Amino acid sequence: MTRRRWPQVTAGTAALRVVAERGSLAVTLGFYVIVVAVLAGLWRVAVGANGGDIAGYSVVAITWYVVCTEATTVSLNTRLIADLGRDIGSGAIAVELLRPAPVLGVRLAAELGRVLPRLAACGVVGALLAGLTAGAPPRPAALALAVPSLVLAVACNIVAQHAFAGVAFWIRDTGSAWFLYQKLVFILGGMLIPLEALPGWLERVASVLPFRAMSYAPARLAAGNLEPVLLVEQVAWLAVLLWGAGAVFRAGERRLQVLGG
Amino acid sequence: MAIDVRRLTKVFESGRRGARRTVEAVCDLSFAVERGERVAYIGPNGAGKSTSIKILTGILHPTQGEATVLGVVPWTDRRRLAARIGTLFGQRSLLWFELTPRQSYRMLAAIYGLDRQREQARVADLADLLDAGDLFDQPVRSLSLGQRMRCELAACMLHEPEVLFLDEPTIGLDLLAKQRFRELLVRLNVERGTTIFLTSHDVADIEHVALRAIVINHGSVIYDDEVAAMRRALLSTKLVEVGLSAPTALPPIVGVSVLEHSDAAVKLVVDTTATSIRHVLDDLLERLPVADISVVDPPLEQVIAAIYARPKL
Repeated sequence: MTRRRWPQVTAGTAALRVVAERGSLAVTLGFYVIVVAVLAGLWRVAVGANGGDIAGYSVVAITWYVVCTEATTVSLNTRLIADLGRDIGSGAIAVELLRPAPVLGVRLAAELGRVLPRLAACGVVGALLAGLTAGAPPRPAALALAVPSLVLAVACNIVAQHAFAGVAFWIRDTGSAWFLYQKLVFILGGMLIPLEALPGWLERVASVLPFRAMSYAPARLAAGNLEPVLLVEQVAWLAVLLWGAGAVFRAGERRLQVLGG
Repeated sequence: MAIDVRRLTKVFESGRRGARRTVEAVCDLSFAVERGERVAYIGPNGAGKSTSIKILTGILHPTQGEATVLGVVPWTDRRRLAARIGTLFGQRSLLWFELTPRQSYRMLAAIYGLDRQREQARVADLADLLDAGDLFDQPVRSLSLGQRMRCELAACMLHEPEVLFLDEPTIGLDLLAKQRFRELLVRLNVERGTTIFLTSHDVADIEHVALRAIVINHGSVIYDDEVAAMRRALLSTKLVEVGLSAPTALPPIVGVSVLEHSDAAVKLVVDTTATSIRHVLDDLLERLPVADISVVDPPLEQVIAAIYARPKL
């Protein structure tokens, strides 16, 4: 009998938690529908008032864009940085050092396992919503690429949040870290507004930061832009973020082992 | 040897530059535990128990000294050691609240490198050993604390650890649940040869689980002997509680020391190696206005408290 890979089993077990929390999933989907309906409605009005185009996004395109950005946001655990920061700051994370598997690896696998079923549910509901309210996706081939891009987007976000929360190994308060992180994703990740609609200098700043991989990339694909290079960019950022989070956790664990929790 | 500690020291530094404080949490600590032993590792708050256990499990690096657990240096080979030890730290759960224990065991088994077949065999074995089979398929959130702790014990035993570190495992459990949990620990040790290393403030955990007690205070060992030897030390003292019908001064009596003295009662400790109970009782009845009198064995807590007050060995 072959040895099972713990990341897959951990993710699969974590996914079962979503099934067990059906009520919570229903609330999440309800919130998602409301937010998408409101934001997409606002954007449709704005695009319509601007002659049917804002920064290259039509009414149909911007609806599919919003469906995607909200899916990448709503499916995530909003308490991830706070919970992880609390576990690190209190020293409770030390117990996780007692397993023969890397702390960060287990946590990432567990978090991804929880997020993917929620993302899938939001994706299906969002696609139905966009199709019914705005029309078919502008380019089905691009939408097909948006599916793996959505997975990469939440993966990048989860890894980045772990890196941010890792500051708790040095400072106790991660509340400010979460606040700052959320705003960076909102603005520089294209969550609130497509990056093309930002002032030129801000768009250039956003183009060299990883936040665009967390929300903008799948949304741009779903909006009808067949740009496979976005997935390549996401994979590259995921690798960088994994390296960064790994470095933070390794340094943090060394600090924990020398200085105590 | 299961655990070998030699002159372990851990110093923590805190505070800002220019106002640094150092705390010597563990100081020149030395002891050894053979495989298959059941050891209670006890001490007052701040004695250095948690720090030394964190060092032995690889969570902390010592400042000085050496230690091995199952021949492995914990802080340099933490993951390899983790595969051979089990840990149950009372407040920290190994199980996911929304899922059944069996579902969490699947994940833990994969982390510890157990294939599916071995996992299923181990879970069945633990269900039988811990009499917990009917609990493994209920969501953890629906279990009582006592039931959950049995499932937690199964979780930390899944990979058949050779040494089990337990930190306050019975905290919060009711009397019956505690009794049952202690019996399970003894059974694990007797039937599977698992070395038990237990810290607890509950004296009953020490009395009913451990065969040996290592008492630590101020970062060092101050007592290391069989629990039975502790009990033998008790037999050389008796507590005499006297209810007084009127306030009175106490005359000195050989072999007797006063624990408490009020107008209504007096509590005495009698050293039975220096005098006899019969002689003391005769003396008290003759010289004091006795309304009531009882002779009891002093509780183990008292012996341990007296040990806590000792200087280090």
